[in-house]
Amino acid sequence: MSLLLKELKQIQGKKGYISEDSMKKLSKKMNIPVAKIYAAATFYSQLHTKPQGKHIIEICNSPSCYLNGSLNIIKYLEKKLKIKSGQTTEDKRFSLYICSCIGCCDKAPAMKIGKEVYTSLTKEKIDEIIKGLK
Amino acid sequence: MQILRKPLQRAYRKAIKLGSKATIDLIKKKGLSGRGGANFPTGSKWEMVSKEKDSEKYLICNADEGEPGTFKDKFIIEKNPEALIEGILIAAYAIKAKKAFIYLRGEYDYLESKLKKAITKIKNRTGSETPIEIVIGAGAYICGDETAILESIEGKRGQARTKPPFPTVRGLYSKPTVINNVETLANVPLAMLYDDWNKNLRLYSLSGNVTRPGVYELPLGTPLCDLIKLGRPKNPIKAVFFGCFGGCIPHCDIPLHPDAICGKECMLGSCTIIAVDEKQSIVDLVTNIAKFYEFESCGKCTPCREGTYRILNILENISMKNADMKDLDTLKELAEVIKETSFCGLGQTSTNHLLNALKYFRSEFEERVKEKKTRKRTAR
Ligand code: SF4
Ligand code: FES
Repeated sequence: MSLLLKELKQIQGKKGYISEDSMKKLSKKMNIPVAKIYAAATFYSQLHTKPQGKHIIEICNSPSCYLNGSLNIIKYLEKKLKIKSGQTTEDKRFSLYICSCIGCCDKAPAMKIGKEVYTSLTKEKIDEIIKGLK
Repeated sequence: MQILRKPLQRAYRKAIKLGSKATIDLIKKKGLSGRGGANFPTGSKWEMVSKEKDSEKYLICNADEGEPGTFKDKFIIEKNPEALIEGILIAAYAIKAKKAFIYLRGEYDYLESKLKKAITKIKNRTGSETPIEIVIGAGAYICGDETAILESIEGKRGQARTKPPFPTVRGLYSKPTVINNVETLANVPLAMLYDDWNKNLRLYSLSGNVTRPGVYELPLGTPLCDLIKLGRPKNPIKAVFFGCFGGCIPHCDIPLHPDAICGKECMLGSCTIIAVDEKQSIVDLVTNIAKFYEFESCGKCTPCREGTYRILNILENISMKNADMKDLDTLKELAEVIKETSFCGLGQTSTNHLLNALKYFRSEFEERVKEKKTRKRTAR
């Protein structure tokens, strides 16, 4: 069963999100009720059941980052991308999520885009990073 | 640093020579205890599982370091993964585990390749046959709870199980299971090998309003002031938060020892220290932490699901200067109920920081509330 989490991640990796259709297929393949798959898929904050942007930005707002000005960075990012946390840009390039601590508190504020970690964020750094991803 | 010493598989060989029982006895004698927060003697945990009759047993390395402000396990995985893997193989050997798992938090997915490399290397060098599988989480703070990890590895929603039965009796797939934290397992080969291994050294994760944040290896009982000094804060430090769950205290000269901290209704847990300087508002920070709990509550039980939401509501009102003095009493009452009646550790500890803040920094809350009053009056 530990496979389920792996399979869900694989689907997300390939398709960008886990659609109802994929869940049904997976249910047949693994012989697990769809409800159970849905329960797991909606529980974890890094699994998505709706289409996502090409780059998923997870930006930390836990205490250490908060004490080092994460709110300003988040506001800046929201303004720059013209979306709020939980939304996807119109051109489908970026999805933004405020997340819990990602363990980079010694280099706060910090964020992740995919498997890449970005730390000691400033507005200038955000500009550079976003530019580099276009 | 002690944690960075390289055992070079000598501890594994020593364990094989000693046999399973003598290995467990040695770990007991050395006094190694759990570093995930509970301080449970590691050798005794192993002994419990090794005495279970079941032929199928499991070992899980808890690498779901989710407590905000904590990054010492990441430090170990990055700097000394070989010692960790050697520790896993020794533990698996001692309890005769069929298989070992590393439950790596989703946020640390980029560490997977490093771990994989270390696994191949150490298994080759030791010749150990024990399979080690890395399971990557998908973002859920509650999965740091050991029974929630079991659910998650089994492919379910990572929600906590009722204890007892404890995982040592009925754990993964209902089989006896040892769950040890990364720092604990990395210390196993070091404890076995070195005569001068110090059981009191801990890895402190220091962050917040300091200019030198990072992992500091210091003994239990180190004065809080000393650690803060090492962090070179720019402004005077006003308060210290022990992660989110451990509560908070005004900055003072207490020894960083579970017993001393307990007297302040805080928990040292996994040695997380978040320093807060005088420029910060405790009300805003507490609201930030309340948001964290409201988000991470798994929703299984009512006090935590509804309570964390209500608490956040009231705190936001206070923050926005839109509350009354009696809201402070409601807040306290609510916090106490959540603490007493929540199902798992997440809910039970979710209000520690708030209760302490109301006790030690009540004037800051009162000022916010009063600000509303004065503002209203001037408006009139
Ligand atoms: S206390 Fe909170 S996290 Fe724990 S079971 Fe209840 S709702 Fe879930
Ligand atoms: S608090 Fe932001 S990375 Fe830990």
